[in-house]
Amino acid sequence: MAASGKALLGSSLCQKLTQFTRNLYSQPALLSSFRSSRQVQELEKYPEVEVVANPPEWRFVERLLPPETVPQPVAQKDYPSGWRPQTEDGSKAGYYVARTKNHMVPVYLQTRFRGQRRITVVRRVQGDIWALEKDLRSAVEKSRNGKLCATRVNELSGQIHIHGDHVDVLRDYLKERGF
Amino acid sequence: MLKNILDKSRQVVFPVARTLTRSSVHGNVVNESPAAVATPAGTKTPLILPQNYGEYAPVSRNTPRQAWIENTDAVQERKVGLIELHPDVFAAQPRVDIIQENVEWQRKYRYVSFAQTKTRAEVRGGGRKPWPQKGMGRARHGSIRSPLFKGGGVVHGPRSPTTHFYMLPFYKRVLGLTSTLSVKLAQDDLHIIENVDIPTKDGQFLKDLIAERNWGPSVLIVDEDHMFPANICQATDELGYVNLMPSFGLNVYSMLKHDTLVLTVAAVKHLEQRLLYQLNRSDAASKGGKFKLDQV
Repeated sequence: MAASGKALLGSSLCQKLTQFTRNLYSQPALLSSFRSSRQVQELEKYPEVEVVANPPEWRFVERLLPPETVPQPVAQKDYPSGWRPQTEDGSKAGYYVARTKNHMVPVYLQTRFRGQRRITVVRRVQGDIWALEKDLRSAVEKSRNGKLCATRVNELSGQIHIHGDHVDVLRDYLKERGF
Repeated sequence: MLKNILDKSRQVVFPVARTLTRSSVHGNVVNESPAAVATPAGTKTPLILPQNYGEYAPVSRNTPRQAWIENTDAVQERKVGLIELHPDVFAAQPRVDIIQENVEWQRKYRYVSFAQTKTRAEVRGGGRKPWPQKGMGRARHGSIRSPLFKGGGVVHGPRSPTTHFYMLPFYKRVLGLTSTLSVKLAQDDLHIIENVDIPTKDGQFLKDLIAERNWGPSVLIVDEDHMFPANICQATDELGYVNLMPSFGLNVYSMLKHDTLVLTVAAVKHLEQRLLYQLNRSDAASKGGKFKLDQV
């Protein structure tokens, strides 16, 4: 059965039948669709292919592959996005705010109650978190013309929660300080 | 002084490390290098393994942890060398909340509740109206298995089987591992051994070793390879409180279940490499989102 089927496939009658069925469609075949593609030929009709392990051209492929881990930023004088590299290591201030693995300042906005409650969260704090909280609060209060702001410190997880949306203020403040 | 040793020995580390790496694969076969034969026993060069921070710069400001590498060829403790541990893995912030979430997840995801109650349809009988609707002076009822009746069905009772499967977010699992490793090290419950090649298959040797070094009562021994040498397999076979585990199976629950965690140097290197990769991988966002059953 299989042999006869192969013979049928190879026969010119079959090819003509296929051409006929392809022509039956009134719609013109799109480019690179199944109907417009050439039929598979005998293996001998294709050019010889040599399988090479680790060719020198492979580095061009590797150049296209994304890096496995986040690369270190390239040092420049200034960056058009406003991003700044971390310069401080926390030995002077007594506290340290680590950058994320993408080299960003870990200040985020949490919204709850359909955006009615906005809380700014500073994460990845190490060292004297209470001193940092004092500094961040004074920075926020300065930006609000001395109006008080409520904060909460989670020392275990190294997070400071600040009432209200002060993400831009705190990001700029931390970048200014070198964190 | 240790720092001096570390700094001086940075040059000689790599040949030493190469001879060390997978000696336990060969099991009982003793392959002595010519250098080791030439030097008399007891004056071997110490095994100093500094950390390479070039690949993953530490995020944690904690000082890098250092741990002794201990021997396993005798009951008596001997310091074989010193290993520097990456602070992001072994000096991470001890997030007890995340450790608890990991333990709860590991208890729950494999738990299936078989508690089962019968509804009014499943309780035997009760098809007939117990008494006429009107004229009896009694409350109207349609079935003696109604939930109002004694011996009736149960409303909203537990139905079997109820799975409690869920997945903890990926990075909570990663942080659980780093937190627990850090906690174990800080509490002096983490020991690092050269390899798992013990000289005898007698369980008493391990008992003596654990008593001598104040390990335990329960000990979890972790190696990189999942094929442990025959001696330690036979020695721990009888001891229910000493267990073996490959480093790819290391988990928070087992680390907390056992009092002492014993890692080989190869396991430490493997864990550091895997965990640091997860903490620094560029496609970390792909690990977020809903858990899919068919991930292949």
